[in-house]
Parts: sequence; structure tokens; C-alpha cells
Amino acid sequence: MTTTETGRSLDSRPSAHGADRWTRDFVPIVLVGLGLALVPLQFQASGSMMTVVTSGMLFAAYGIGFNIIFGSTGQLFLCTGALAGIGGFGSAILSERLDVPLILSIMIAGALAAIVGGLLSWIAVSRSLDTIFTGIVTLAFSLSYESFILGKGDLTGGENGLRVEQGRDTILDRQVAPYYVFLALVLLYLVMYRVIQRSHLGWAFRALRDDEVAAELAGVDVTRYRVYAGIIGSGMLGIAGAVFAHNRGFIGPTTYAFGNVDVRVLVMLAFGGIGSLLGPILGAVVFTTLDELLDGQAQLREVFYGVVTVALFLAFRRGMIPSLGDWWNRLRSSRRGRT
Amino acid sequence: MNLTDLTAVVLDGFVLGLQFGILGVGLTLVYGLGGIVNLAHGQMAVLAAIIIARLIDGGTQTALALLIGVTAVGILGLVLDLTLMQPVYREPGEGRVLLGLLLMLGVGFIIDGILEWRYPIEALTLRVSGSPIRILDVPMRRGSIIASAAIIGIGAALALFFRYTTFGRATRSVIQDEQGARLCGVNPALVRTVVFALSGVLAGVVAVTRAMTTPVDSTAGVSLTVFALIVAVVGGLGSVSGAFLAGILLGIVNTVSAFYIGSYVSTIILLVVAAITIVVRPSGLLGVKS
Amino acid sequence: MSGHLLEIEGLCAGYLGQDVVHNASLFVGQGEAVAVIGSNGAGKTTMFRAICGMLEATAGTVRFDGEDITNQKAHKVSRAGVVYVPAERHLFPQMSVRENLVLGAYPKRPSGSQLDMIFRLFPRLEERLSQHAGLMSGGEQQMLAVGRALMSSPRVLLLDEPTTGLSPLLANEAYDALAELRSDGLTILVAEQQVPLALGLVDRGYVLDHGRIDLTGTADELRDDPGVRRAYLGV
Repeated sequence: MTTTETGRSLDSRPSAHGADRWTRDFVPIVLVGLGLALVPLQFQASGSMMTVVTSGMLFAAYGIGFNIIFGSTGQLFLCTGALAGIGGFGSAILSERLDVPLILSIMIAGALAAIVGGLLSWIAVSRSLDTIFTGIVTLAFSLSYESFILGKGDLTGGENGLRVEQGRDTILDRQVAPYYVFLALVLLYLVMYRVIQRSHLGWAFRALRDDEVAAELAGVDVTRYRVYAGIIGSGMLGIAGAVFAHNRGFIGPTTYAFGNVDVRVLVMLAFGGIGSLLGPILGAVVFTTLDELLDGQAQLREVFYGVVTVALFLAFRRGMIPSLGDWWNRLRSSRRGRT
Repeated sequence: MNLTDLTAVVLDGFVLGLQFGILGVGLTLVYGLGGIVNLAHGQMAVLAAIIIARLIDGGTQTALALLIGVTAVGILGLVLDLTLMQPVYREPGEGRVLLGLLLMLGVGFIIDGILEWRYPIEALTLRVSGSPIRILDVPMRRGSIIASAAIIGIGAALALFFRYTTFGRATRSVIQDEQGARLCGVNPALVRTVVFALSGVLAGVVAVTRAMTTPVDSTAGVSLTVFALIVAVVGGLGSVSGAFLAGILLGIVNTVSAFYIGSYVSTIILLVVAAITIVVRPSGLLGVKS
Repeated sequence: MSGHLLEIEGLCAGYLGQDVVHNASLFVGQGEAVAVIGSNGAGKTTMFRAICGMLEATAGTVRFDGEDITNQKAHKVSRAGVVYVPAERHLFPQMSVRENLVLGAYPKRPSGSQLDMIFRLFPRLEERLSQHAGLMSGGEQQMLAVGRALMSSPRVLLLDEPTTGLSPLLANEAYDALAELRSDGLTILVAEQQVPLALGLVDRGYVLDHGRIDLTGTADELRDDPGVRRAYLGV
């Protein structure tokens, strides 16, 4: 038995402590999963409401992918939509034009997004671009993607968009089932997020976030771990985008546009708490509800979005989940103080 | 390849580039001073355009309308700095950049939403009558020439202001080393407030000069902001001359590739050129901070 | 009031809620040169930053010319005549020597006689007038930092480790210049870990250790103190 194996077996020893940690790590995910699984009970009768909540889950999935890249390693990727679009358009073109089976097309397109994201990440890290500069380069990439989708009409359908038929008559074509597909995806992503957090990779991510120089001194290969985060998060975005393409049956230039995806994901995540496990979920739930309440007044909705964004960031600098966590800890410690 | 065509295309690119430049300047100054990425810059320009258009529709004299519109966004800049931006300036480190960015994003939503809600089809067009003028044997529209001349004039005035006036020098000192500036007796808060207001005025100038060549409608905000951002970063955040240089470079790249290759590829080429510049020179063409 | 030009009483300051300087008191009389000596990390910089408003003091008072300037904004302290030259200098790297000097006089216009005085003290600066500050050598940068501070005709000059990054030769030159300023009647408070240099310049000194002033005396008394000799003079 080698030393590392010893270490690992010590770690996974079924002690009270280990079980406790396991509970703390995964029970929130299970609870959130159960809670979200009940949502369709309320809305299953209405096709339009199911579309709304399903898209809420889609955005939760986007949020987790973005959170792995930005929340864990501080790379501001302003191309969430573009990466999802690579997944969506990639998978649609593969399955429609080249008759690649649906699941395989989703996997290939997801891998494509992962490669592109990894490449962007590699460029940003190897040129040591800071937050804003990474943001601008990826924003330029986003806009290039949009120009490409519009310009290369023979492949992408241009302004008219692309019909995606392969998902027809699968579970992605039902009223309620797609919600559970996305929920499953979200839960899978959450588990992955947690597992990464608790692994060597997560340790490196945290070190990176806290202090890059110290992390480097401690032997963390900064480039490698940033790029890993870029690859994993982008792959998640690509797959979510691809599944959505087959669910919706139609994708166009605005489906994954910067203004429709990135801005929302950023605001949602910042609301929920950047770098927190459940931040993306809370953000998606709250903003989906908000959208629904303001339905039919698209412009007013934008104004309201703005007001909420400004008000929230003034009040909860770090997002709701961490703020609530602080509040809870304070409450607990003050109680403990009293007894 | 026809030489006159090329001249015409390059001149067009120059005109467009000047507009990119003046767009980037307002954003670059505010970032250089306080680390705030004003994601509402384009929306402020559009706000000025719509105010001016409404006033002209209502019978106000054009010159007065322009003055009111530009002043109004200047005041908006002033107010934003004195209210919303204060907690941002108090925030240390990278948190400041993110908070400033998100707050201004919210402000952008609000302006955009109100404009698209109340004035969805309003647009500002400033028609400059008269026959085209030939420059280097290329007939140029009068609107383009006046707009360009105005931008060059304002750009030169800014350059002189920052170079030779006490306050201009103080502004540059804060951009280069805020602590050093404070030690010299410069009040960074005052400089930031004045420059935020100036940046609002410049957004108004963008609206006016742009409306002389193309209509500025109520939905143009986001794309103006995005271009302002790209120009500012390529030029080097905090550098006025850098913003103009980057603007002209990108403007010419854009029209030349649009003419010889085609429109959608030209946007991609423009963006790729921008991205490559940033990647090769993260401090920008004439960056202040490394 | 006892009427010293600069009086610090019970000053506490630090970072992130943790005081680095504890209950420090000192004074500098008009025309006096005073040193704060102490090793790296003793709290000299923290103390100076708190005096000049770059850092919030958590307790204590700073009085200048009879007026309470505790926790005033840095630019106000500077305009009042207490000018700080930090060890990192904080010059404007992309401005010329001339512009750096002109900013030193801000918000007033630079005075010719002050410029002449600075050029007499540091002839190098006159030779390099149009060079960018960022491109100069360490010694020249230090001259410029002091020159810039002098432009506003300060009443007290606070120097934090003016010999940082200088060779022994240049360090000596720097102190020669300070001695000249002193003999012209400028009031100086200097923080230094090169103790022999500092004690050669000043009338009196304070020893700062772990954020506390634990010894004070004239330059001669400090030079003869066994503790100081052991800790700072390597005897």
C-alpha cells in the first residue's frame, strides 16, 4: 500500500466524522432535488408554465457551469451563451445534417464546447489576463459567435434559425418530462461541483481563489487548474445548450445570444452568491419567478431587473447564499453565547 | 484593386474610428480613475439622443436641444458618481471592479428598459444638408465631415486639458498612482466626480456626432457599450490617446474588411483583431497600468 | 498646549481590525529633525501612514500647529503642510520629472524659487527634466520623491526609509541632502532602519519596537544606549 492510498483510505474511513461530512456535503443537494422535483405538481397542467420552469432549470444548469469557471477560479467568461450555443448548434447540425444519433451528438457538441472553453481559458491564463481582460476577450468571442451564427446562414439557418427534429417523440418532446431531464442534469452538475470542491482539484481551486501567488508557491500549477475549470464548466454549458436545442425543437440567433443568456446568468449567480453551491439554483428560481410575475411587460421587466440588480448589490455584496450563511452563523453563535 | 476605392474605404474607416474613439474615451477615463467599468455608457449616449430627439420634435431649437441633452447626461454622470458609486469606491480590491460593473449593468438595464418602454420607435437623426465635399478625391458626406471635425476638436481639447491644466494633470496623477496623488494634495474623490460627469458629457457627444451619420435609436445602447468597452481595453484602460488610436485602428479594420471580404466576417475580423491585441498586449496599445 | 509643531499622542493604527502601532506618542518641534528607528515590521510605515491620513487611526490624536488633524483626508493633511514621502515613493511613472514636480505644488502653481532650490539640492533632476519618472534609477527616483514633496513648501517632511533600495554610497548622498534641508530650517521626521545614518542627521530619536515606542532620547543618548547598540548598531 502506497502512502497516498493510506491517506485516501484514512479519509474515506466510515467514521462518524466522515459520515458527518458526507451528510453536510450532499444532503443540501438531495433536499434541493426533492424540492425542485415537486414543482411540476403545481404547473403540470399548463404547457406554458412548464416551459417557464424548464427554462428556469436550464438557467440553473448554465449557472453551475459558469460558477465552476468564474466562481471557483475567478475567470470571468462572458461567453456562457456562446459556449451553450456551440453545444446547441453543434448538436443540432450533427444530428440533423449528418444523422448522428441524438445522445452522441450531444456528447460531441459538449466536448466541442469544452475544447473551445479550455482554449479560451488557456489563452487567458498563459497571458495572465485579469478579470476584466478575460471578460473582454471572451465577450469578443461571444460577439464573434453571434456574427458567425447570423452570417453563416447555410449552416446555421442565419436569421431564420434551425429546426431540430431529432428530439421529436423522445422524452424531450413532452410537457413535463423535459423538466425532469434538466433537473437531473442540474443535480448531476451539483454533485460534480461538490465532488470537485472536495477533491484535490477543489483544494487547488480554493488556493487559487485565495491567493494565486501563494497557491503557486504551494505547488499548484495555476495554468493547469484554471484550464481544467474552463474545460469542465464549458462542457457543462455545451451539454445543457445541446439538450435545450433538442427540447425546444428550434434554435435561432437569439437563443444563446449574449443579451439573453450571459447577462441573466451573471445577475442570477451574483444574486445567489458567486462561488457557492446553491447560489445558481436560488438565483434561477428567484429570477424565473420574477420573470413570470412581470410577464407581458418585457420592457418594464428590464427596468425592474435593473432596479433589483442595483438594490441587491448594494444590500448583499456577496450574494444571498453567503449572506444568509453569515446570518445563520451569527444567529447560532449568539444563541450559543446566551446558553 | 482600385486606389480610389481603397482611399474611400479607409476614409470611411477613419470617420467610424473617430466615433469609436470618442465612445471609448468616456469609458476609459472612468475606469482608469476609479476601477469602474461603466456598462451603462452606451445607454447614457442613447438617453442623450432620445432627449434631444424629443426636444426637437417638441419644437426646441436644435442647438439648444443638443445643449440640454448633453448637459442632462453629464448631470446623470455626476449624480451616479455621488450616489451609487460611493460604496463602490469604498470597496477594496477586485471586489470593487465587480461591484461597479454589476451596479452599472443594473443602471444600463434601467435606462434601456425605460427608453424601450416609453420611446420604442424614437430615434435621433441630425441631417446636415449640402452637397458632398471631396477629400482626397473621395466625395464625403457633410454630416461625416462635421461629425469628424467635432470629434477631432473635442479630442484635441481633451488632450490639451489633460496635458496642460492643473486639474487635467491631477486627473492623470490619480490614474497613474492614486496614493501618490493624495500625497501631493490631490483629492481623488473630486477628480472622480468631475470626470464621471465629463464622461457623461462625452456620451452625449457620441450621440450627437453619431446622429449626423446614422440614426441613433432607443435600442442602440448595448452595442454602443460593448464597442466602448472593446475600444477602451484595446487602447489601454485609462489612456485617452490610446482610445482614439484603438478606435481608428478598429474602424479602419472594420470598413476595409467589410468592403473586401463581406459584412459578417468583418465583424468577426474586428473582434479577433481586438482580442489578439488584448492577448498580445494586455496593457493595451498605450496602457497606463501594466 | 505645549506648542510643538507636530504632536502625536496615544496613536493606535493597523490593518483589518488588528492594531500594529500601539499607543505611540511623540513630538517634533519647529525646525527639529527627529528619527523613528526600528527594524523591518516594527510599525514605522503604519505610524507614518496614520499620521498623514493614508490610514485610519483607531485611537489617539495627531496635532499639527495646535490643530487636531487626526484622521483628516490625506490630501488635506498634505495641503496643511505635513508632506509624506513613502518608501515606495509613489511617483507618477508616465509623467516627466517636470510634471511630477509641478504636481508636488498642487493645487498651487509651482514657484520658481522652490524649483531653483530643488535643483541646487539635486542637480540630477534638472538634467533629467523631461525624462519619464518610471524610467529613472532608484537614486534619481528618491531625489524626485523628495523634490516633489518640497515643491509644496512643506512645514514638516515625513520621510519613510529614504534609503530603501539605494546603495550605501547613494544612501549617504541622500542623507547629505537631508542634512542640507535641515540646516535650511526644515522640520523633518524620518523613519529609518539604517540607524547610524539617521542618528547622524537628527537631534532626537524614538525607538519603535513591535509597534510600541520603548525608548527615546537625543541622538547621542541613543547611540550610547546598550540596547540600541546591540540591536541596531551591530556592536
